[in-house]
Amino acid sequence: MKTRLTAIFFCFLLFNIVNGQENLQTQLNYANGFFNSKQYYDAVTEYKRLLFFDSTKIYQYGANFKIGESYKAGAKFDDAIKYFSFAELNARNDDEIFETKTEIIRTNILRRTTERALQLCDDLEKDERFNAKVDTINYWRGWAFMLSDNWKSAARSFARINPNHELKLLAERTDKAKVSVTFAKVISYILPGAGAIYSGNFLSGLMSLGWNTLAGYWTINSFIEKRAFDGIVVGELLWLRFYRGAIQNAENFAIEKNLEISNKSLRFLQNEYKGTKL
Amino acid sequence: MILSNTQKSFAAKSNSYFILLIFLIIPLTTNYCQLTTDNNFFSPYNRLKFGNYLYKDKDYLRAAKEFKEYLKVYSNDTVQFKFSNSFFKIGRFTEAADNFKGLFFSSTLSEEARLMFFESNFFQNDFNKFRNLADQDVYLSLKYRKEIERLKFTTYFFDIATLPAENIILEPFPDSVQSQIAKFYIQKKIPLHKNPTTAAILSTLLPGAGKIYTGEVGDGITALVTTALSAYLAYTNFNAGHQFRGWLFAGMTAFFYGGNIYGSAASAQIYNARIRFDFDKEVKFYFEQRNYFLPQIDL
Repeated sequence: MKTRLTAIFFCFLLFNIVNGQENLQTQLNYANGFFNSKQYYDAVTEYKRLLFFDSTKIYQYGANFKIGESYKAGAKFDDAIKYFSFAELNARNDDEIFETKTEIIRTNILRRTTERALQLCDDLEKDERFNAKVDTINYWRGWAFMLSDNWKSAARSFARINPNHELKLLAERTDKAKVSVTFAKVISYILPGAGAIYSGNFLSGLMSLGWNTLAGYWTINSFIEKRAFDGIVVGELLWLRFYRGAIQNAENFAIEKNLEISNKSLRFLQNEYKGTKL
Repeated sequence: MILSNTQKSFAAKSNSYFILLIFLIIPLTTNYCQLTTDNNFFSPYNRLKFGNYLYKDKDYLRAAKEFKEYLKVYSNDTVQFKFSNSFFKIGRFTEAADNFKGLFFSSTLSEEARLMFFESNFFQNDFNKFRNLADQDVYLSLKYRKEIERLKFTTYFFDIATLPAENIILEPFPDSVQSQIAKFYIQKKIPLHKNPTTAAILSTLLPGAGKIYTGEVGDGITALVTTALSAYLAYTNFNAGHQFRGWLFAGMTAFFYGGNIYGSAASAQIYNARIRFDFDKEVKFYFEQRNYFLPQIDL
């Protein structure tokens, strides 16, 4: 009889546990439904509910990770990093730790906290547990460089994965297409308007050259006619103004051109690149 | 007493049945009831628990949803207050005010709800409406009458309504801050504005003088020097027979002169706007730092 009673007791105990587990599993499926249909606000609510009622703590990693992903998808990067960090604390193996750490890196890249992303990449690379995952680390390091407009370093990072890596070639192409801001300024010091022409703004460059020639002529002409004060004032008010303007223009045009080139590459990454994105 | 074997067997069987019955009843009273309460994450009780957790975690929008679902089944003043306060915390002041209103009558939190109702209205920035509400006795709180009155007089510093007499405004504020409030009152009543017409006339008489009048001394001197220099250049070029250059500099002189008159009037307007902006900023900062002299109410 005792045995029978004990058996009945354990049956009920088991029923309770299984029943509780089933409820948590149902809740997880419910939250996943929202997540999969991209209803991230509701997904966060339901994952939080799951975490709140999960006394067994078995869903801590998965639910926190999904909350992080939901916040990331909603561009709430600070919250995303907070929940990825919670997930990391509850990770059960090295793979899960690596997954959360890379998500934190990716979110930092999106948040434009590049320095932090690069620091995390370095930390991850130094960690012996992840020696086999150096390619993944270099991949995200490359992305961090690309999004901070450092295409040369990005090309170097991708080259470590594969010398013919698609993104390495893209980064190299972008870097080569960019113009030198310093060079544009220097040639404008020598010949006003040359920097603008170098940056592709021919009309503006020629006009700048014209204004400088005219103002220069007036200044020199005033000195030749022994009207030194006129010469100084015209030189200061007109010639120097146009000369300085030409240098400033050269700098602005070069920056603008570089931005255009970078944006073209970023648009490619956003719309046409088929590999893993941020 | 000596029991026979039949009696012993019967007693043992009775005990066994009793224990079995307990095992059957316990799950029925705990497990199955919990299925409809504890294990059902969406039961009103669990929604309230989860809502309170979210509220503490400052996730007010989600907390409000949970409280709303709970309030569909049960009536609870504290939950209603938290529900309203969730809207207040996320800056949805209209919804907060409407929901605080629901606690005005026959509620233990009536006084607090009334104060929060006024706070919600205050932060909607419709100060005229706020003053009208504050004058209606039906909304007023006995416990927080003074706080609401203070809020009412604070509104005068934030809009363009005619200021009441100084002593009326100062009365509800503590003695320790009255001198500062009086200073704000004077600044609001007699702002140190510059007249744009005066600035324009001054610049007509002497280029740059209008700018100096509005406090832009550097700009004023630059305007004077630039106008004088271009006029001088026009004069010398005409004298030297350079007609084109003479007209060019004459045009520049006219442009600088006219521009400076217009610029001086604009500068006076900018000066006035800055005075208003600085005053608004200073007043807002002062009251915000002191939480508008309001008590912190949270449950």
